[in-house]
Amino acid sequence: CWSWNPDGNGEIENYRAVIRTNSSYQSLSRASQSAELWTKILDLANEQRTALLVIIVFQLMCLADLEFDYINPYDSSSRINKAIMPEYITEGALCLFYLVTGHWCMSLICAPYLYYNARLYTRQKHLIDVTEIFNQLHAEKKQRLYKLFYLIILLFLSIFWMILTALEDHDMD
Amino acid sequence: MGTENPGRPSFPATPFAAAPPTMTPFSNSGSVVGSEASNLRPMRPTVPPNTSPPMTAGPAGSGESPAFRPAPPTRFNDPSLPTPPSSYGPPAAGTFNRFPTPPFGSMPPGPPARAPVVGQPPFQPPPSQVSPPLSFRPQGQIPGVPMGSPPPGVNTPQIDSSFPASRPNFQPSFPPTVSGYPAAGASSQLPLPGYVKQSNAPFQAPQGPPVQSPFQSPPVGYAPSAPTPSPHFLSQQGGLAQAPPVASPYGLHSSTMPPMGAMQGLIEDFSSLSIGSVPGSIDPGVDSKSLPRPLEGDVEPNSLPEGYSLNCNPRYLRLTTNAIPNSQSLVSRWHLPLGAVVCPLAQAPEGEEVSVLNFVSSGIIRCRRCRTYVNPFVTFTDSGRKWRCNICALLNDVPGDYFAHLDATGRRVDLDQRPELTKGSVEFVAPTEYMVRPPMPPLYFFLIDVSISSVRSGMIEVVAKTIKSCLDDLPGFPRTQIGFITYDSTVHFYNMKSSLTQPQMMVVSDLDDIFIPLPDDLLVNLSESRTVVEAFLDSLPTMFQDNLNMESAFGPALKAAFMVMSQLGGKLLIFQNTMPSLGVGRLKLRGDDPRAYGTDKEYSLRVPEDPFYKQMAADFTKFQIGVNVYAFSDKYSDLASIGTLAKYTGGQLYYYPSFQAANHSEKLSHELTRDLTRETAWEAVMRIRCGKGIRFTSYHGNFMLRSTDLVALPAVDCDKAYAMQLSLEETLLTNQTVYFQVALLYTASCGERRIRVHTAAAPVVSDLGEMYRQADTGAIVSMLSRLAIEKTMSSKLEDVRSNVHLRIVKALREYRNLYAVQHRLGGRLIYPESLKFLPLYGLALCKSTPLRGGYSDVPLDERCAAGFTMMALPVKNLLKLLYPSLVQLDDYLLKPSASADEFRKVMKRLPLTADSLDSRGLYVYDDGLQIVLWFGRMLSPDIAMNLLGPDAAAELSRVTLVERETEMSRRLMGLLKKLRESDPSYHQLCNLVRQGEQPREGFMVLTKLVEDQTGGTNGYVDWLIQLHRQVQQNA
Repeated sequence: CWSWNPDGNGEIENYRAVIRTNSSYQSLSRASQSAELWTKILDLANEQRTALLVIIVFQLMCLADLEFDYINPYDSSSRINKAIMPEYITEGALCLFYLVTGHWCMSLICAPYLYYNARLYTRQKHLIDVTEIFNQLHAEKKQRLYKLFYLIILLFLSIFWMILTALEDHDMD
Repeated sequence: MGTENPGRPSFPATPFAAAPPTMTPFSNSGSVVGSEASNLRPMRPTVPPNTSPPMTAGPAGSGESPAFRPAPPTRFNDPSLPTPPSSYGPPAAGTFNRFPTPPFGSMPPGPPARAPVVGQPPFQPPPSQVSPPLSFRPQGQIPGVPMGSPPPGVNTPQIDSSFPASRPNFQPSFPPTVSGYPAAGASSQLPLPGYVKQSNAPFQAPQGPPVQSPFQSPPVGYAPSAPTPSPHFLSQQGGLAQAPPVASPYGLHSSTMPPMGAMQGLIEDFSSLSIGSVPGSIDPGVDSKSLPRPLEGDVEPNSLPEGYSLNCNPRYLRLTTNAIPNSQSLVSRWHLPLGAVVCPLAQAPEGEEVSVLNFVSSGIIRCRRCRTYVNPFVTFTDSGRKWRCNICALLNDVPGDYFAHLDATGRRVDLDQRPELTKGSVEFVAPTEYMVRPPMPPLYFFLIDVSISSVRSGMIEVVAKTIKSCLDDLPGFPRTQIGFITYDSTVHFYNMKSSLTQPQMMVVSDLDDIFIPLPDDLLVNLSESRTVVEAFLDSLPTMFQDNLNMESAFGPALKAAFMVMSQLGGKLLIFQNTMPSLGVGRLKLRGDDPRAYGTDKEYSLRVPEDPFYKQMAADFTKFQIGVNVYAFSDKYSDLASIGTLAKYTGGQLYYYPSFQAANHSEKLSHELTRDLTRETAWEAVMRIRCGKGIRFTSYHGNFMLRSTDLVALPAVDCDKAYAMQLSLEETLLTNQTVYFQVALLYTASCGERRIRVHTAAAPVVSDLGEMYRQADTGAIVSMLSRLAIEKTMSSKLEDVRSNVHLRIVKALREYRNLYAVQHRLGGRLIYPESLKFLPLYGLALCKSTPLRGGYSDVPLDERCAAGFTMMALPVKNLLKLLYPSLVQLDDYLLKPSASADEFRKVMKRLPLTADSLDSRGLYVYDDGLQIVLWFGRMLSPDIAMNLLGPDAAAELSRVTLVERETEMSRRLMGLLKKLRESDPSYHQLCNLVRQGEQPREGFMVLTKLVEDQTGGTNGYVDWLIQLHRQVQQNA
């Protein structure tokens, strides 16, 4: 599943880069650098969030296509299943990223989503079951819609955060 | 393949919503209301929704046209009970004219007065009419017509002409003037316990004040005085009040008119049971003999004989209620499942086979928009040039080849030559547009486990012999293909090329990357390679005689079979004896792990562990391969996982626990023979269409869905049924009739592509009571059991059982609410006549193998296997499995002579309780899957000797029943043979049990007596009391 999603790979790379950046910047004076840094970091987070949004929307599209009989259950479920691990990993990375960069609040907000995914994974229920896909269609769609709203709220929150930080920095300058 | 109808099934909302849909039967185009409507055409006469009710008294008004419908709580005449009992009176000519006007006109449209059914002391003579308190007529509306005419006899006559025919058996028992004592008469009339069908009529409440005589004798008081206390009789008591024939109107309508009766909101038809103890006594107050029992077996609904005579036979399609609710709110008040049980290929008795029509030249006539096939309910207009689709109401052109003129009444002149316009079930030969590839040949592929345990049990030998004996009877003779793979720790392929004399065996031991050693010749044409195949089957048992291999590379072998078959599809028969232990798909002994039992996670043992099996099943379905699994293991072998292969490919799981050739070979070979030789439909897809506003939303059974409403069935036959649930898409249905059309597109064994079409219609009603009256217990139970079994996959058994219980409670409570307010029904449990067996079947379902007890009561594999079986069983077989028959045989065997005619008399089913078993008797218990002969402890040794010979004294578990040289033995064997013939889908192996022989008696008979209280489960009486108590709460 790695081959499919360049985002996932990118995520890890980015995330390492951030850690490095982060630690090297720690010693520097916060005031001068912070604005630039925060923007960068939040850009990265935005990328992750966007990737997640795209994945979720893609899965929803597959389900909708299936419902309206544009694709058969075999293709639909294999496409969705390919996208599931990247989604989980990206989500995990995002959460970890917030944690490492000290955004406790955001990280906490992400946690339930991560926990939910982890729970599904440990119970081996994360993949779509092609034989029962039509019976589960409704639930699966609902689950993904919830995720979508969750992510959108997350997006708004972080934009708000970013603006707030930018304003603060601006004031300090 | 999914070519049948790529379009969406549910029709988009269209301008047709407003059109009064299809109500004009094409046959009598103009004459709408006339009473001749019922003579020819199946449909109910047209009553455009908004016209006022016709004033004719004839069958015209037949129905639930909205205009007739009184406010919801009012009553309809039950169409299935077309004969009000009021008709038994001396013919007194002339009275007919006294009431020529039916009360249609004179009845106020509001809720008509209703006469309550009230509990009355037993045997209170008719004078109970003296004081019907006013409160009995809460509505206070007494129709203005002289309804209650003083002398009961006077009004009756007009109906007599129509009555005797339909209810001859009642007639003699009613003294002309007595209207109040059907009880005594009826009980002596009904010699068979539970002979309930006949006694529908008494459930009518009295009508009109002066003649009321509601007798509701509480069973307690009644039973002792009944001359022959026939066990079932009392159950009927509820409405026993025999209505003295009052209303002339019903006479006029009585038996000719199906759902008529809007004007008589006065007739009640529910049954009730008096439950509730006398204060201070422990006695529950229920006479257990009086409880309703389905001793007649499954009774197919004889619904709506008039308007719906063109419906397909109920053996193909059964609705859970033959009255479709017209609004969402009504659906939510109907707490039972709403849907249909379809058995598309059900075996038709001789002479009723579905006719095959060839439309290849002209093309099959279908609706342009919704793809409905032409059926008896379409209407032809525009002098025959157009036809209106009954499902979506679109006006289609009639193709030139199909054109026929209409006669004066609007019928096509060629109607007699058009079975598709006169029969509810037809079969079309499909032209090439219905194929994505040439029709496949029948293909049988065998995957046989040859590890040590299957050699030891003798399974291989039986299988090889049976297959060999079936070679001549495999369907589709010159084209049939066949192939074999055997496996233990390696996979063995067989080259069966026709030029060889002996099959060549090839062994592949690379399990991780399985490949096919030979591109073709693994799958050969049977008629060409017949000698090689026979040589193979002859040598198969000896080939592996000394095999000591204990491993099973089931997964890789499965993959290999898939690779061989994926070109063509077909049927894969798996003979599996050892737990898969090597390669992909290996399974763990998780069922042996006691830690999971009894916890919240117990359900996970019932779902497949390894996704490999689900994935394989999905792939099999995709390539049109149906899988039947024969499992033989004596140890845990995780059928929950392996069974999924059968479940999602439309197959079947046969389970022979601890198979030993000596005991079980007959059963195996019978069932395998049937599997191989029964008529099979290949590469089938099934779709069920229904009218605008409703939609089938969920499907239950053994199959996989190919799209939201397309059921993929790689191989389907007459022993499989499928259930589906309906939901309403619109808040209010405007049409008066809903049509259902099941279409099964398949390849027949002869190589023809065919479409089997079943069409049925059901009225739309706005009255909950009507829904209950039209309910079909068989279909409901079938649906409930499928839902329950599905639920066992995700929750604890206890929750599933309480769920079943709750659903029944809710349904009965809702029903009670319909009536309880008007009638003082304090201590009575009331239920619709149509659902009188529902509580018992509910109880039986909770005690059935998949749902019974806890983990220790039934071995896990057996539970799973029973679950898979019950998901596929047709309604009739399921009901028999839930409430098996128990018959006493010793009298029959001792009788000097017995003709075939006597067989029916002998088969008098007894209630399933230990009280029915007399220790001096010999009983046969038959649940469709097995037969148990129960020998009473004090059975005369004579009988035992005659039947068993010298084995009579031995322990019966080791004795097999064989025909002996005595008359008695011959007769017993003849009887068993008849029993088996009546239900050929499984072979019922005969087990012998002696009374007191534990533990065999326990698990073979005693736990299966569903009415008894065993091991912490409820008995029937307790169950009813419990139901009743809960129904009354918040009632």
